[in-house]
Amino acid sequence: MFFLYRKLLAASIRAQMQYKLNFIATAVTTAMLSSIDFLILSAILHRFDHVKGWNLYEVGLLYGLASIAVSLYRVLAPEIHDFERYIVFGELDQLLTRPVSPLLLLLTRNLELSRIGGAVQGLVILIVSLGGLAGQGRVTWLLLSYLPIAVLTGLMIFFAIGLATATTAFWTGQLKELQTFTIFAPATAANFPISLYPGWLKLLFYSVVPVAFLNYVPMLYLLDKGGAWPLLLVAPLVGGVFCWLSIRFWQFGIRHYHSTGS
Amino acid sequence: MVYWEIIRKSYRQNLQYRLSHLISNGASAIFGLIYIAIWFGVMSGKEGTSPYAMREMGHYLTFTQCTLWITTFLTPGLGISNSVRTGAVSFDLMRPVNYFLYVISHEIGRIAYNLLHRSVPIGITLSLLVGLALPANPATFVWTLLSLALAVYLGLLLFYLVGISSFWTTEIRWAHQTIVAMMLGLGGQMIPVNLLPDMLGKIAAALPFACILYDPAAIYMEKIPPTAIGLQAGWALVLTAAALTVTRLARQKVEIQGG
Repeated sequence: MFFLYRKLLAASIRAQMQYKLNFIATAVTTAMLSSIDFLILSAILHRFDHVKGWNLYEVGLLYGLASIAVSLYRVLAPEIHDFERYIVFGELDQLLTRPVSPLLLLLTRNLELSRIGGAVQGLVILIVSLGGLAGQGRVTWLLLSYLPIAVLTGLMIFFAIGLATATTAFWTGQLKELQTFTIFAPATAANFPISLYPGWLKLLFYSVVPVAFLNYVPMLYLLDKGGAWPLLLVAPLVGGVFCWLSIRFWQFGIRHYHSTGS
Repeated sequence: MVYWEIIRKSYRQNLQYRLSHLISNGASAIFGLIYIAIWFGVMSGKEGTSPYAMREMGHYLTFTQCTLWITTFLTPGLGISNSVRTGAVSFDLMRPVNYFLYVISHEIGRIAYNLLHRSVPIGITLSLLVGLALPANPATFVWTLLSLALAVYLGLLLFYLVGISSFWTTEIRWAHQTIVAMMLGLGGQMIPVNLLPDMLGKIAAALPFACILYDPAAIYMEKIPPTAIGLQAGWALVLTAAALTVTRLARQKVEIQGG
């Protein structure tokens, strides 16, 4: 199965590399434009020092991790993200006739490599913030070695949310509006400490769209914000469970799929 | 008048998407709420050092979250690049109307639709949460309306210039993203431009981007004198001249290509 994944993926990358210059331009612009947001944040914290006790570097850590996670999701799962058209134009019917699981086919059809720019920008913010925190003597080996786990957790969370959102298209046929609620708004919110938000939003970010676990929860312990060490285990666990749940939901959805018949 | 008919037609075209727009209004309100929550977190305990009180920041962000839909979230390139790609632009240029007015009339219909179906509901929702600010001086209402009208026009001009660039480039994705990033970042969507660090704040306040989101909001909240309208009008003149010049060049360009 992994052999097949690699092979299908390699074909898709080769196809995209036909347009190298366009790819590079896209990646660079995306990275530059998305860093404007962070520059504005630096300007705000330059003036007001900290937000609910989190200084610029600490927020930068949250921001970097959230950017990397959501960008990797967009790179790896563009067909899940744009699943709407498979329902609207009946393209899903073709996939169902193949002897491979439709989910695997969707994941290997395409990689949106140009979105890697967003991940690079997140990585730069992460490194700058780590540098700043190192200056305050607050970077531990534990923090550094946990970062890959946090990225993976974030990817699992956004993939789970993305897939669950896409599954609703089996019944509604449209995704764009829902995605703003489930992906774009939570991704923006996750750039900052979750403690900022009013109770009902907080509740959502811990349950239905669990973006709190991709950066805020583990950082409560790693940055010494009053969290305990088990949080480090809880976060990836939540990511894994949500992935499993949303794959189950997807399988349930696909069993109830009726083609548009066009 | 023909332009009035175009505006009405385009307004009615947009009506068919009412339901999905109603849903996305909820999302837009949540975005507004996220920004407000961030600012409340940033300012709690530090209100004394800011020209905006915490409540006022809520009002400011509510105001800009509404005006975004009539000034900044317009059709990319006002749809010009699409008609350049399909070739429909040659027919548009042949019509016995002014091309610039034709294009912006079409967009004004959509803006009128957005005003009633997006700005107003979002404004009401957010006002229920953070309260509604009313200016002390009744004349402020008049200045705000004037400033808003110029802001809408400036937004149209910037988007028109991006759109018309497609006569040479056919691809406007980057130009569009860049202009929107400027309108949001330097225009005062996340932070009122006078709170930006000194030099950057001064430069940003003089650019046309700040005329679009920041100026109407700051005038409404009586944070800046209505004389800022002068700067808006100045930029409107400069950019109108630019738009008309580029339109003339674009027309020649089409003639050279032979359609």
